[in-house]
Amino acid sequence: MSDRRAELERKKAKLQALREEKDRRRREKELKDVEEATNRTILGGGGDRKELDELLREVGVAPMSDVLSSISSANSITPEQSRNHTPDTSLQPNSLPNNVIAVRKKVPQLSVVAVQSTNIPPKEVVTYTKQTQTTNTGHDVRDVLTYDDGQGEDEEGSLPHLGGFGSKLPPGILPHGLPQVKEVQPAVTAVEQEQKKEEVKEVRELSEEEKQMIILSEEFQHFMDRAGRVMERALCESVDIYADYTGCLGEEGLDEKSHQRISFNRHFFDERWSRNRTVTSLDWSPQFPELLLASYNNNEESPNDPDGVVLVWNTKFKKTTPEYIFHCQSAVLSTTFARFHPNLILGGTYSGQIVLWDNRVQKRTPIQRTPLSASAHTHPVYCMSVVGTQNAHNLISISTDGRLCSWSLDMLGQPQEILDLHRMQSKPVAVTCLDFPHSDVNNFVVGSEEGAAYSACRHGAKAGITDTYDGHQGPVTGVSVNSVQGGIDFSHMFLTSSIDWTIKLWSLKDSKPIYSFEDNGDYVLDVKWSPTHPALFAAVDGSGRLDLWNLNQDTEVPAASITVEGSPALNKVSWTPSGLHVTVGDNQGKIWVYDVAENFAHPRHDEWNKFLYTTQELRNNQVDEELEKLNYSVSSTSLTSMSSLTSTPLR
Amino acid sequence: MSNEIDETMKRIQTHKGVVGTIVVNSEGIAIKSTLDNTTTVQYAVPYADKARSVVRDLDPSNDLTFLRIRSKKHEIMVAPDKEFILIVVQNPTD
Repeated sequence: MSDRRAELERKKAKLQALREEKDRRRREKELKDVEEATNRTILGGGGDRKELDELLREVGVAPMSDVLSSISSANSITPEQSRNHTPDTSLQPNSLPNNVIAVRKKVPQLSVVAVQSTNIPPKEVVTYTKQTQTTNTGHDVRDVLTYDDGQGEDEEGSLPHLGGFGSKLPPGILPHGLPQVKEVQPAVTAVEQEQKKEEVKEVRELSEEEKQMIILSEEFQHFMDRAGRVMERALCESVDIYADYTGCLGEEGLDEKSHQRISFNRHFFDERWSRNRTVTSLDWSPQFPELLLASYNNNEESPNDPDGVVLVWNTKFKKTTPEYIFHCQSAVLSTTFARFHPNLILGGTYSGQIVLWDNRVQKRTPIQRTPLSASAHTHPVYCMSVVGTQNAHNLISISTDGRLCSWSLDMLGQPQEILDLHRMQSKPVAVTCLDFPHSDVNNFVVGSEEGAAYSACRHGAKAGITDTYDGHQGPVTGVSVNSVQGGIDFSHMFLTSSIDWTIKLWSLKDSKPIYSFEDNGDYVLDVKWSPTHPALFAAVDGSGRLDLWNLNQDTEVPAASITVEGSPALNKVSWTPSGLHVTVGDNQGKIWVYDVAENFAHPRHDEWNKFLYTTQELRNNQVDEELEKLNYSVSSTSLTSMSSLTSTPLR
Repeated sequence: MSNEIDETMKRIQTHKGVVGTIVVNSEGIAIKSTLDNTTTVQYAVPYADKARSVVRDLDPSNDLTFLRIRSKKHEIMVAPDKEFILIVVQNPTD
């Protein structure tokens, strides 16, 4: 019976399984339109079976179970019967229920597998740790390499990385290969890391105060000075490195330019420092031929700015700002590079003080100045010059009271020598300009406000004024001694310019001028011999005219003449040491640079002889003129004397 | 003294074609700049370090003194020093 019942139970279970299967299929087949027909037939079959099932349930099951139970209790069912039964009920879906059962049986097995799958995630974690290890091994390799280099600095630098790497690792995993390093390092790394972090934080914050601190630091100022200079030069390099010559040809302007004897190159002007200031002197650096030193008078329109300004300009670079800016309280009337001291710049001021600037020092005010005392200058210093050799040189300065002071640059506390320049009757000479013949330290020529030029010497029994060259009707503004080296020495030839509109050529041997150039229609304010051509000189006047005279070509009119734009009064003229450029300083603070054509600036080999001939001719003319004058005056005086003679008897 | 620095900055800045002037310290943090903050930070990348390392690698006794980076639109000029770096951005076509 129990077997039977079990059999029945099994059948019921099978039926149940079948039903479930059918339901499942129905759901599936409802979804699938394609197999609708087959579904229907199956459903139909299912329906029949359902009816059967229901019939079985309604009619058979309960009694059947009783019957069956009674039967089973009565007779044991043979396996054949059960086998016969089973195929009947599960004829078609025989395999399916088995599968279902199998699936059902497998489901718990799958859950066991799921337990295995839960074991997989730990494997993933393992791979993750592997990843971190690989990144760190990269560090390891590098650090090991630095170790191999065996440099102390690198070692120190690399160790904190190791420490950091070790500390980043999970506690369970040791950095392979380097446990000892990890043990040794932590103390150092901690400190260094902290320091690093602190630094980084400081930098990122960098408050206004800190910025100000940096800005005010000496180092920063040095840096800005240097870097600013370099940057400005670089910015002014307007060379187009992408110039393409395949496209367009011809720079015809160049040819035109070379035909001109004099052409404008550029001008130097600083809005803040040179505006409205008269250029009082110009000088060129002996060490760096591209550096031009210029001193400026006071600017009446800005009384708050320092009176005296000295600017150093650079002709090499195209930058428009001065290389150095210096200033002092009194107007600077004369300035010069301290020869043999490339960093020092000297200035003679209106107050009479000699001031000294140093371009190595950050400040723009003088680092040294001479005292204002009776032992030195008490009048404006319009002229000064450094003469001598590397080992024995002096600064010579002359003030308008005729006092000549000779200074050692090592000691500006008091002059080494004082010489008062007097003309006859011990009247002081108001010196306005000075020039030394080439490499002469003793003899020099000065121009004075009285209109006379004087030659003088510093040493010897006759120290002081030696000769007087009277000829100008007004103050002498410029004096220049011919200093061209060559076949014939012309160092006795000098030129003077004056407010009387003339330029005069003199020889030291003659108290009368050799020649007077009377082409200008205004004050002639400066004159300078060319440093390379014996017969060439430049002169500037108050109407803005720059003249270049070549005495071998013409003595009546300048060989080349140009009027500066805006025709300002031109106060100073200066040649570059090469003789290829002329710079002109005007009364508005501008310095104009002009190019002189090479064929014009460079002398031919016969120029010296020619110049000798020219001067001889000029002298002869002079003599002729004088003779004529003499004859005329003699005749006139004889006439007057005659008339007087004749007249006297009448009385 | 700081006004001389301002003067220098101004001189550079007023130069025609100059777009911006930046002074950074060795860590690349701006001390002075005429550009806005974000642009400054963008320009303050350590060009100089890279270039210097190249120069030093080629010859350890050598050192970088100036660096110009020319692009189609701008030119970046870098003047490095031990502690500070001056960067000027200019528009060369202007």
